[in-house]
Amino acid sequence: MTVAGHTSDPESGADAGRGDVLAPGRDEGRTERERREDVEARYGWRYTLGQLRRDPTAAAGLVVVGLVTLVAAVAWVDAVLFDFLAEFGVFAGLGVEQYALAKAVWTSPVAEPAGTPRLLPPVGLENQFGEGTLAHPLGTDHRGRDILLRLVYGSRVAIQVGFVAAVVGMLGGTVVGAVSGYYGGRVDDVLMRFVETLYSIPFLVLVLSLVAVLGARENLTIIMFVVGVVYVPEFARLIRSRVFSVREEVYVEAARAAGVSTPAIIRRHVIPNSITPVLVQGTLRVGTAILTVAGLSFLGFGVNPPTPSWGRMLSISRDYMIQNVWFSIWPGLAILITVVGFNLFGDGLRDALDPRLKN
Amino acid sequence: MHDPLLTVEDLQTHFFTEDGVVRAVDGISFDVAPGEIVGLVGESGAGKSVAVRSILRLVEDPGRIVGGEVRFRDQTLVGFEDDATAADTAGDDRSDDPGDEPGSQPGRPVPRPEMLSESAMRQRIRGNEIAIIFQDPMESLNPVYTVGGQLREFIELNRDLSGRAAREAAVEMLREVNIPDAERRYEDHPHEFSGGMRQRVLIAMALACEPSLIIADEPTTALDVTVEGAILDLVRDLQERYGTSFVWVTHDMGVVAEICDRVNVMYLGEIVEQAGVDELFHDTKHPYTQALLNSIPRPDETVEQLDPIAGVMPEAIDPPAGCRFHTRCPDAREVCTRRNPPCRTVVADGRPHRAACLKHESAFPEADYWASRPIGNLERPAPDARGDGDE
Ligand SMILES: Nc1ncnc2c1ncn2[C@@H]1O[C@H](COP(=O)(O)OP(=O)(O)O)[C@@H](O)[C@H]1O
Ligand code: SF4
Ligand SMILES: [Mg+2]
Repeated sequence: MTVAGHTSDPESGADAGRGDVLAPGRDEGRTERERREDVEARYGWRYTLGQLRRDPTAAAGLVVVGLVTLVAAVAWVDAVLFDFLAEFGVFAGLGVEQYALAKAVWTSPVAEPAGTPRLLPPVGLENQFGEGTLAHPLGTDHRGRDILLRLVYGSRVAIQVGFVAAVVGMLGGTVVGAVSGYYGGRVDDVLMRFVETLYSIPFLVLVLSLVAVLGARENLTIIMFVVGVVYVPEFARLIRSRVFSVREEVYVEAARAAGVSTPAIIRRHVIPNSITPVLVQGTLRVGTAILTVAGLSFLGFGVNPPTPSWGRMLSISRDYMIQNVWFSIWPGLAILITVVGFNLFGDGLRDALDPRLKN
Repeated sequence: MHDPLLTVEDLQTHFFTEDGVVRAVDGISFDVAPGEIVGLVGESGAGKSVAVRSILRLVEDPGRIVGGEVRFRDQTLVGFEDDATAADTAGDDRSDDPGDEPGSQPGRPVPRPEMLSESAMRQRIRGNEIAIIFQDPMESLNPVYTVGGQLREFIELNRDLSGRAAREAAVEMLREVNIPDAERRYEDHPHEFSGGMRQRVLIAMALACEPSLIIADEPTTALDVTVEGAILDLVRDLQERYGTSFVWVTHDMGVVAEICDRVNVMYLGEIVEQAGVDELFHDTKHPYTQALLNSIPRPDETVEQLDPIAGVMPEAIDPPAGCRFHTRCPDAREVCTRRNPPCRTVVADGRPHRAACLKHESAFPEADYWASRPIGNLERPAPDARGDGDE
């Protein structure tokens, strides 16, 4: 065997006399074991996790992603879920209200505490407003609120935006791309023309005009959906090219021969076998979406004050750069670390899921 | 004679490619009686897979069934109006459908009203009445689900079972095909099974809904010989117990001898000989069948003594004029280059033995084969011959 491993060469040695004439084209050169390993390489989750652990940058990415997501989840419960539950008498009676958790532990991230100096530097440093204290380890903002607390609560906006946008893009793209790729022909022509049109408009231009058209300057929900919709074309193209090959697989034909309906075939067989690149790209896009929405806040689109978000913090802190540069540095760092974390994780995931894509 | 379970009549399936029309299946007729294993044998490319897919209407673009009939019991799986085509039926809503590739396409044949709809095929026939097993057991199962899960999904789809009952039925089927430790293997993914075991799973899947007919498209070709033997034993055993009919596609006469009751030999889209398995082996009527038989390796012969068929099968896109086998036939005579013999009865007692060869004067008196000049394929190997084995 000349080429080791995965490339098959149909050499048929012993039964050449008969093989030449009668044997159909099948890859006899490959042993059962090689084929099994090949399949395992592509589908084993244990294998994937093992690969991730062995790749230090990916592991670092995974740690960052995990930590930020965890913090954001707690913040989300306190800021969003509690706010929602507080409307119901039962829960309100139990003392559930927005920021109940933060208040129980410390103080509300939106309240402006009387008497706290504004624009304090981090602990151990000093500026014209005073000396940094352990009470506000990262310092305070222009209204005297604790920057650490605001960062913690801002993480939920970032993560929510990133996940929702990526999921919207993945779902929309997967449906459009899978249908387009499976049916081919005219369905494909129509869907792909639509997708190409969206794709040809520069990303930020499209986001800004959609947000403007929808009058959603301060509506975070609409903004993150818009970002997600703008991701649809790239996910659609990604999965479509994969579906083109998956639909030719024998198990798809076997499903058709067993009487499975086309929608069920797409759902049960085609999508699960084409989804890997979408998951990888989705992970990367969480980071990009966070960055995009932070950028939008900078332009004045995004959450209402006083809800904490990294983008708004960054945008407001511009006016206080001279007095307390740390007010800008911290949210900037938070965004940077989170986005890089998602990128490292996504790259590692890609390498682990498909070693052949490694470059 | 009993009513056949499946009747295929003059079935034609062509592929409309950019290079021209590939006549992959060009007018084949055969039937399958209840409880019978009928072989469909021929070299790779003869059109066997296309033929059996046509029975279930699974042929995909650019392929299309262009004529003929397939009946299953009293249902019409394929059936077209005799000579009307959509192109010349004014006002037919198909004819103003501009979706077809430009040029070169003849009008589509018009389905007869009794031809089953696509959804009826899906709900009543595919998987329920007729199951199909494909050649490659390594690729016929979806790698992302467990074997048991796939079997169970299939049972839920085609039988009135769900939840635990479906699961139990699935485990039961795995036992039925002799998969050791079925309860535990249920949870395994396809890549954890060997080729032979996967083929057993596929057989279990095919049997799960107790279809009356199973089409097996070279199910053992990808397996090694001992595994193949075990699978054939299993199938024979199951066939006896369930009484299922089979259409068994293979290129291997050895497999035919082991498993089939009757055999159809296919060459370039046509059936050239049709007989019970004993008649086929001991009273061979077609030179192509003879050539296939000569190429079976026997235990007492070495590979060198094999007698492969000279030359390669021509392309179905451009079949030879006259008898399609004449470019490779050792008995070819001048008349064979002009006449393409249909498959006619050459021995009439019992179920007829048919052959498509002009040699048989009683069936083809008009050809006057013996008066024609031999063209001597034996001395002059076909120009594109690959196997010059006997020198
Ligand atoms: N999708 C397709 N497009 C064009 N030609 C095809 C297609 N599928 C099969 N054919 C042609 O049909 C003929 C019969 O193929 P097949 O039924 O697969 O042969 P077998 O199963 O006997 O080996 C071949 O000549 C092949 O080239
Ligand atoms: S008809 Fe002629 S060429 Fe064809 S099989 Fe018979 S003898 Fe050979
Ligand atoms: Mg085939």
